[in-house]
Amino acid sequence: MPTPPEAPYFAASMLQKHFGGIAAVAEFSAELRRGEIVGLIGPNGSGKTTTINLVAGAFRPDTGSITLDGRDIVGMPAYAFARAGVGRTFQVPRLFRRMTVIENLMVPALTAMRTSRRQAEARAREILAFVRFEHLADAYARTLSGGQQKLLELGRALMLRPSLLLLDEPFAGVHPRLLEQIVEHIRTLSADGYTIVLVDHNLDAVRAVVRRTLVMARGRKIADGPSEEVLQDPEVIRAYTGTRKAMEGRA
Amino acid sequence: MSSHIKGSQVLQALLLLVAVAAPALIGPYWIHVGALAWYYALLAASWALLAGYAGQFSFAHVAFAALGGYGSALLTLRLGLPLALAIPLTLLIAMVLGALMGALVLRLSGPYLALFTLAIAEIFRLVLVAEEDITRGSLGLQVPGLFSGGSDVPYYYLGLGLVVLALLAMNGLLMTRIGLFLRAIREDEHAAQASGVNTTLHKIIVFVATSVIAAVAGIYYGHFIGILSPNMVILPEMGLVIAMAVIGGIESLPGAVIGAVVVYALSEILRDYGEWRFVLLGLALILVQRFAQNGLFPFIERILDRRPAAPPPASPVRGEGEYANPS
Repeated sequence: MPTPPEAPYFAASMLQKHFGGIAAVAEFSAELRRGEIVGLIGPNGSGKTTTINLVAGAFRPDTGSITLDGRDIVGMPAYAFARAGVGRTFQVPRLFRRMTVIENLMVPALTAMRTSRRQAEARAREILAFVRFEHLADAYARTLSGGQQKLLELGRALMLRPSLLLLDEPFAGVHPRLLEQIVEHIRTLSADGYTIVLVDHNLDAVRAVVRRTLVMARGRKIADGPSEEVLQDPEVIRAYTGTRKAMEGRA
Repeated sequence: MSSHIKGSQVLQALLLLVAVAAPALIGPYWIHVGALAWYYALLAASWALLAGYAGQFSFAHVAFAALGGYGSALLTLRLGLPLALAIPLTLLIAMVLGALMGALVLRLSGPYLALFTLAIAEIFRLVLVAEEDITRGSLGLQVPGLFSGGSDVPYYYLGLGLVVLALLAMNGLLMTRIGLFLRAIREDEHAAQASGVNTTLHKIIVFVATSVIAAVAGIYYGHFIGILSPNMVILPEMGLVIAMAVIGGIESLPGAVIGAVVVYALSEILRDYGEWRFVLLGLALILVQRFAQNGLFPFIERILDRRPAAPPPASPVRGEGEYANPS
């Protein structure tokens, strides 16, 4: 049954994840409305990527629940999360490096048994056009630059038409010109109604595309609200950069 | 994909013709060698699918060949089943155990997978040695032949037919979306999962498919040679199969077949050199790895088809990336 308009489209409640007694995520809860785009920031080791891995189904949380469109998806294997509508990219791009760009895109499309090769290829061509990679269709993924790999990974995540898109550091190590292109793509996707969680250290780039920001520190969510307010929150400043001065310098 | 016939396809057709015509041109000794080479060709090609395409570096492949050989022989000799029933039953057992193996190694990769499967193979070999009341242990289990008369020609053609069938079946599998998923799993299992690929199912599929082909090879070998011994599971046998696949082309099924035939024929030609032939084969392996990393057949294929080099095969050792360092 589709989510009523007022209900959250995505909800994570009391998520916890420990590794060998260390709480990577001590407690995380958040709700997103359909079509919303939020930033998830925090200092290194704050639990952002683990949270993304929990939401993407790569890790099973020790406790807590994750619902997408009213359906509890905790406990399902990672591939089922992807098929249920959770698309993701990785902090360090994880492409099928010795496969061509178009093959990288065909893989997710063909996981739907009803999708024929022709349909998968047509969708892949659409995505190639979206990321402006038509000329790279037959290039091996390993030959792409770092920024191009991030774009291809974004394209691959879009192949399954995800209803929730998790972007883990899409701006990290990207050439400024490609960074602009990625920002533009994320804005387009947001305008198209994708629900997006954006994790990054580049606060300028994050602020350029999101209005709401969640902040994590030591495995917990410590702030959640409009980006400008959250970034002025003393606790966020303390946790994220140590001093207000440093925060101002960075932002 | 281009519709015109490629030079490499012409080469494959020519090699098949040579293989068909060979018994009329060579003596009984080389027919025997050729028939044995088909056993290794079946193993090398199916191992290339398992390791080269799907990235599952299993060392238990020869154990499945022994399972096939012993299974069929024991069901016939000890239980008195007709061969027509013993063979499918053996293949069914290989399917089940292949699926079990696939399930057991789901979370293993690289050196861990290699060590685990090596241990499985060694346990199986020791069981064959220890259970001598059933298997006759190191004395060897005598297996009746499939054809009357002393000629190896029928075995040669049976082996060749099995190789062609296995290549067609494996190629058919690779042409489906399963082939694409297997390569994706080889490249990055986590990314494959994030792309919606049921990696568990596909790993089990590839273990089942290749275990059955290995079992077919073992059944063929047992009835052809007439005696089975636990030595068919020793590590050098597995090493030989790996060397054949790597020299021929670990990511090329016909390449692995060609590698098997070339390596086995070379080891016979160089027989007079005793242990030195293995040194020479080791040298050949090093040279291929240095100058034609994808193997000899893809190297020749690339020249014939005038196409750019594919990236070299993936290392079996792969880090767990960001999963290892949750932030």
